[in-house]
Amino acid sequence: MLTASIVILGAGALLLPLLQVVKRGQQQLAGYILAAILAVSFLLIGLFTMSPTAVPWADGLLSPDQLGGVFALVMLGVTLAVTVASFDFIKTSSNPVYYSLLGFTALGMVLLAYSDDLLMLFVAWELMSLPTYALAGFDKKARSNEAAVKYAIIGAMSSAILLYAISLTYGLTGSTQIPMIVSYFAIPAHQTALAGVAVLLFIAGFGFKMSIVPFHMWIPDAYEGAPSTVSTLLASATKKAGFVAAIRVLLVLATVYALTKSPIFSLANVFAALALVTMTVGNISALTQKSMTRLLAYSSIAQAGYILIGFVPFAANPTSAAAALGMTGAILHVINHAILKGAAFLAAGLVFLQLKRTDLGAYNGLARRMPITAITLTLSFLGLAGVPPLNGFWSKLLLFLSVANGPFWWLAVAGIVNSAFSLGYYGWVIKRMYADDPDSPGRVHEPFWFVVVFAVLVGLIIGIGLFPQQAISFASGAANSIIHG
Amino acid sequence: MSFILSILIFFPLVAAPAAYAVTKLNKRFGIYLSLGLAVAELAVATYVAWRVYATPPGIGSYLLVQSVPWISVGSFTVNYLVGVDGLSTPLLFVSALLTVFVVFGSRKLIDHHEAEYYSLIFLFEGAIMGVFASLDLILFYVFWEVVLIPMFFFIAVWGGPRRKYAALKFIIFTFAGSTVMLLGFLYFYLGMAHYVSPSFDIPTIQAALQAHEIPVSLEYAPLLASFIGFAVKLPLFPFHTWLPDAHVEAPAPISVLLAGVLLKMGGYGFLRISIGLFPTASADFAWVFVALALISMFYGAIAAVLQKDMKKLIAFTSINHMGFVLFGAFASLLIADPAVAYLGIEGAIFMMFAHALAVGCLFMLSGYIHHQAGTREIPSLKGLGTTMPRTAVVLVLASAAAMGLPPFASFLAEFMVIVAGISASAVTIVSVLVPIITAGYFLWMIKRTVLSKPEGTVEVHDMAWSDVAMFAAYLAPLVVLLVASYLILGPALPVAEFLRGLA
Repeated sequence: MLTASIVILGAGALLLPLLQVVKRGQQQLAGYILAAILAVSFLLIGLFTMSPTAVPWADGLLSPDQLGGVFALVMLGVTLAVTVASFDFIKTSSNPVYYSLLGFTALGMVLLAYSDDLLMLFVAWELMSLPTYALAGFDKKARSNEAAVKYAIIGAMSSAILLYAISLTYGLTGSTQIPMIVSYFAIPAHQTALAGVAVLLFIAGFGFKMSIVPFHMWIPDAYEGAPSTVSTLLASATKKAGFVAAIRVLLVLATVYALTKSPIFSLANVFAALALVTMTVGNISALTQKSMTRLLAYSSIAQAGYILIGFVPFAANPTSAAAALGMTGAILHVINHAILKGAAFLAAGLVFLQLKRTDLGAYNGLARRMPITAITLTLSFLGLAGVPPLNGFWSKLLLFLSVANGPFWWLAVAGIVNSAFSLGYYGWVIKRMYADDPDSPGRVHEPFWFVVVFAVLVGLIIGIGLFPQQAISFASGAANSIIHG
Repeated sequence: MSFILSILIFFPLVAAPAAYAVTKLNKRFGIYLSLGLAVAELAVATYVAWRVYATPPGIGSYLLVQSVPWISVGSFTVNYLVGVDGLSTPLLFVSALLTVFVVFGSRKLIDHHEAEYYSLIFLFEGAIMGVFASLDLILFYVFWEVVLIPMFFFIAVWGGPRRKYAALKFIIFTFAGSTVMLLGFLYFYLGMAHYVSPSFDIPTIQAALQAHEIPVSLEYAPLLASFIGFAVKLPLFPFHTWLPDAHVEAPAPISVLLAGVLLKMGGYGFLRISIGLFPTASADFAWVFVALALISMFYGAIAAVLQKDMKKLIAFTSINHMGFVLFGAFASLLIADPAVAYLGIEGAIFMMFAHALAVGCLFMLSGYIHHQAGTREIPSLKGLGTTMPRTAVVLVLASAAAMGLPPFASFLAEFMVIVAGISASAVTIVSVLVPIITAGYFLWMIKRTVLSKPEGTVEVHDMAWSDVAMFAAYLAPLVVLLVASYLILGPALPVAEFLRGLA
């Protein structure tokens, strides 16, 4: 089933541009086809995750486990939401190419989620990234182009760093297969300083995609310049690719490997410091933003910091109960953040589409002009702040609980202070939407496909919030697939 | 196993969309429907109160308990666990009662976005019921936070001129306070794991406390953390600054909910969580709490004297009166003689009930006066005695109830708390000054507004007789309770015995 979904994704992405030659004028057709393909792949991978079967050609290249399943499903789900929302958003003539690029990105993300070999991982990484450089500049406007160029340069740099890390690892171990690498480094004599350099390079390379501080500079510019649907994809899907790669490479390595002999520079401490800096910088920067997209970009950086918290107990002691809780929380927060940020970015995208503005002033009195968008944005903001009973609360609870008692208790304090702080800027926007007067009154049209996507996402935000057990079990299964090999 | 508390919690949550849809179609009918739904909820609450009164749960036990597994990952489990006792029942009942009054009073005072307003009232009511009925800390926290959301919108959408500032200040203060409280819960839970199998379940934790299975050293940090959460809600000086802003900007019916119900969450938390889960640490620091309560009482009373805005005056009265709740609760931990000690906790519970009705009445009245006379400034309100005689009578009676004059039960509550305080230490006799100052500023307010000569040419209208009936309904239970105080004190006694016995 995994094979089938990869084949149809690849075939679809390859064949979609042909539509431009064959059927001019039927522009939406490509979108409908891609949506159907993504939906089928989503179902197939869902079935595969529930009852995994052997993948004959994946020996050593892919690890078809539940961790990959969770991430593949999240990424496909976000891509599907982006595709459906694009029906109303992208009205330019080169439609089929746009959808084809989305398809290639989806394929890259699915492969990446399952990658268990560094070369496979790198190929998937590039397959995922290259189309997004083009997508970011799809508007062909000056700002969009600037964003695309900036994003492409940073992306190329992170790929180069990653490639360097991979070659160092291969030079040291003689293998690109992650399990082999891990067993090589399990021998203390092999834990050289050069290996430490490779690990740090991996952190930097993945860090660009994960949007952790200090590798976050490109995020606000790229998100702001790119078409809103593409920003949604970058924030909710490709960013998660960084996390799955980090889990597969770095955390697995952490089970056997200490970064240095010195206890201060342990991998757990590195993650803890990155988590603290990332969430704090993200939240403080978000508070001062005047543009919605930039606010969301910084909030997205802050959320990456929360997810990193879950890595810390695992890196400190992979077999502890706290590690299982932390990984479950991190994976659940990946799922929740994809839903919440997807909803927020699409809502912001719709506001831009209809009002042609991204500044926060455009949100004054939005509840009267676009009530469905306003309520979607409100719920996603409350969820991002971690207000119960919405889905973001549970993942944050698990994340903070995993570190609350132990050497990293200060991360829980920092996380909670950050959450309270973040409600300041989220609440500010909600206040604008519901209490301020709009510049011009009158209802604004809210297109059908956007409303459908909003309804599904809001349903998930509240549904997972009220009945989190299924989602938690799913995330916990994925966490166990890493913890118990 | 009993479903009645779940009905109490979820009926308003189901009523909310119904109220929204119907009010959207037909305003008038929607308001009547909302009133009907609120009365139905009151009937359920009355049934619960009757059950608790008829067979009060014994010491340390809860009635109408329902437990459903909710979340479980590894050893981390959260149950949907609800139950009531003599502490939560008066608050559940008074919340349902005030909601009826608020819906009734809002029909004249709320004139836009009615559908959203009435549905949020029910969302608020359901969440409040959940707060008072929860016996699981995480469930408690979930409901605790849900309460904030409708209150934020009430102030931000239906509030006065500075509503945006007040709404943001409200949500940031209270959210910050409650996240610190959550952190305390998590710390306690994880710390417990070294000694017993950890739990968020209040009765289970209390059983472990009684068996001395949880070391006392674990109690201090969560006591401090939960103190911050509850002190913001109560509110206790110096955590109170959001309250006058919120009250001044909130529409009058919402001020009723804010003072009558939301502040009680703080008092309830101090009794149920601070004393109920961290009893030894609470007893060790009882002096600090008593001192803070005294400062808050004096601060509220003196600040109230200085206010010109009638609503702000009532807001500061609330700080003053909620200080009494904290004072009584923690003074009782300092008293050696148990029989006297119970007075403190019982007085605190009684005080919360009486304050909800008396101050609720005053806030609603300030809304009516503002609506009819166009101002709430005490110096500009002149001669209400002649121009609005019915309003004036209600104002005098409600002020008497708030001051703690007989025949209103607030008198008894204040008396019990002060007796407990003096028994704890003679120093606290200064607390007697607080009711005197309170009486002073209320009488001065009455002198300036009711007994002065009317002036100006502003046309004013007195309230309708139906509204007089509503205000009578606010105050009637207080008169009844002075005679039949056992209705509250009966079920409250086992709670007082239990909480005192834990410490």
